[in-house]
Amino acid sequence: MRAPSERSQLALMVAPFVVGLVGLVLVPAAVTVGLSLTEYDLIRPAHWIGLANFTELFADGIFRIALVNSLVFAAVAVPLRLLGALALALLLHRRALGVGTARTAAVLPTAVPEIAYGLLWLWLLNPFYGPINLLLRVGGENGLTVLGRTPPQWLTDPTDARAAIVLMSLFTIGESFVVLLTARQSLPGEVYELAEVEDATGWDVFRRITLPLLAPVLILLLLRDTILSFQLSFTPSLVVTDGGPPPYATTYLSLFVYTNAFEYLRYGYAAAATAVMLALTACVVALQWLIVRHYRRAYVG
Amino acid sequence: MARTMTSSVNVVRRHRMLAAVTLAALCVLAAGCAGTTQEGGGSADADAVSFLVFGDPDELMAYRTLVDAYEQATDGADVALVEASDREDLIARLSTSIAGGEPPDLFLMNYRYYGQFAAKGAIEPMESRLRKSSVLHAEDFYPVATEAFRWQGEQLCMPQNVSSLAVYYNRDLFRQYSVPEPPDEWTWTDLVSKAQALTRDANGKQVQGGEAEGGSAVSVYGLGVEPTIIRIAPLVWSNGGEIVDDPQHPTRLTLDTPQAKEVLRDFLELRLAYGVIPTDDEVEAEDDETRFANGRLAMYLSSRRSTTTFRSIEDFEWDVAPLPIYDKPAGILHSDAYCMTAASQNQDAAWAFVEFALSAEGQRILARTGRTVPSNIEVSRSQAFLDPAQPPRRAQVFLDAIPTVRAVPSISTWPEIEDASEGILENALYLGQTVDEVARQLDEATRPLFARGESP
Repeated sequence: MRAPSERSQLALMVAPFVVGLVGLVLVPAAVTVGLSLTEYDLIRPAHWIGLANFTELFADGIFRIALVNSLVFAAVAVPLRLLGALALALLLHRRALGVGTARTAAVLPTAVPEIAYGLLWLWLLNPFYGPINLLLRVGGENGLTVLGRTPPQWLTDPTDARAAIVLMSLFTIGESFVVLLTARQSLPGEVYELAEVEDATGWDVFRRITLPLLAPVLILLLLRDTILSFQLSFTPSLVVTDGGPPPYATTYLSLFVYTNAFEYLRYGYAAAATAVMLALTACVVALQWLIVRHYRRAYVG
Repeated sequence: MARTMTSSVNVVRRHRMLAAVTLAALCVLAAGCAGTTQEGGGSADADAVSFLVFGDPDELMAYRTLVDAYEQATDGADVALVEASDREDLIARLSTSIAGGEPPDLFLMNYRYYGQFAAKGAIEPMESRLRKSSVLHAEDFYPVATEAFRWQGEQLCMPQNVSSLAVYYNRDLFRQYSVPEPPDEWTWTDLVSKAQALTRDANGKQVQGGEAEGGSAVSVYGLGVEPTIIRIAPLVWSNGGEIVDDPQHPTRLTLDTPQAKEVLRDFLELRLAYGVIPTDDEVEAEDDETRFANGRLAMYLSSRRSTTTFRSIEDFEWDVAPLPIYDKPAGILHSDAYCMTAASQNQDAAWAFVEFALSAEGQRILARTGRTVPSNIEVSRSQAFLDPAQPPRRAQVFLDAIPTVRAVPSISTWPEIEDASEGILENALYLGQTVDEVARQLDEATRPLFARGESP
């Protein structure tokens, strides 16, 4: 029997991915877009209503709040997550005592199931009995911090609650950390030796060597994290803040979609919101890509 | 030519191989989908009656007791209890399992939430089975409960309980601070006065309204109540007002009438003017039911469902009092019913379980667990419910309230209306807003929801 050709082997290897992509991503996405043009409640048959869901959606105050919340979350959380992963990767790429334990600790939160992670934070953020606020009150009097200020009201103040959701997302950076750690370890040592000979400062090495060499990986992670950010906020806002405090401070698009689809049985309407979310993700990623391409042309030629 | 032939054969082979792999993978996917049992709804065992419920651990234990008793009493009976974590989870499981074609045979649902399923034809009416039943008779049940589950002239679901809002109170705290226990008839003003007398700091000193701001100084609060439309509704009715313009076909909330605004004002003053209820931070840190169970809340407004949890309290005595009145006694119906899904493949067996659960025997079993005020009139007046050995001592309070309880409107969008109004009321209670502004916001937020709703 003749061995399969290289192309056949490639086709075989890519087939599961293609099937998954078609069956689990493209077909559901197409169905979602189709359902967004119908009134569908999961029980009665869907019926065509054209763009009515979209018209209602853009007049819906809660949807607008969810949209802004999602964009703000992406704008704040994505850069911070990337910076955190990069800092940890640069800190922990060398061999040193305890570095293995530190790397494990950096990855561990990503391995915790999302609901369990959310419930853990529900305890951490408890305004009176949670360790975070207990720690912030150390040295203070009458329930205030040492600076005489009220500790953050994580679950009742809109700004603090949004900050809490971002804070929760900053510890699940294990995947980005592993990718950046591997990328940093694969950078050629000669470049750094040369920089040392030239008496380059640490900042220069980072700015002129590490950052440019890691840029392709960073760009990839930026795009991935941006796409992910529209889903990242779902479990925390469902489990920890329940979309509140009022009025809808931590209601993100994903929670808006879930509530409308599965609690209010407005599946067609939720599908329209999902379609907007998909379009928005595509726009943000395209914008990032254009900016990256512009800078690449400007600096790399 | 030969090379071209070989190349063509290779292309065909490659396509066939790719097609075979794709087909195999799709088959695996399809088989996976088809073979998946409904975690949320249907049962893994085709013969078992799947019964979807939600509740806290004590409530779920009550239903397990009922199911066990049924299985022991009936040869070959098999009921699979499907336990959801909360109301939202139950609705999500129910709707997705119906859409997936494998719904539970039975589910338990409050009349405030069943409208969205009733309007969509997802519930199998029980009317004809009830008429033919030799076990259940409509006249054996409280009419206010059965009426709440009638949709377009048919009995859609059968109620298991007929609870109402009551005031749970910590008798030890009342005794400790020499405050007389709530009488059988009392007013909202009396309730606020008692709540003020019972709001204390760690040294047992009474905390006045202004001092309570910030909350940390308060050790025991006088009152716990959720800022929801269903807590305010009976007070509005008691004051001669209405919560909607037309109970049959509502189009808007009417909390802008003088009677409703008076109630709303009194309610919103509980935190910022009187300081007798916990702050929003304190409620987030420890919900009112837990605070009461921990002995740090003197009074708590809730329905019968809290009884199962409170029966595990060992550190103090507690009891229930009727809801205070404004002008005339009024209460709000809290009732859950057994509903059968229209797509159930096991309706006869499901009905047999409903007959058992709602028979005098089944109702007694559930009443003894403390969970329900039985919808069966005879059982509600029996020792199973009024057992003096089990708290609450004044269980008769729940029965006395039945003649004056009312139901909120049956409209498919009621869950959305409750959710939208809760956020507004929560902000108003804890941050302070004028009553007119609150009434306006409530009207503005809920009017489109009423417009979209379907009524019987």
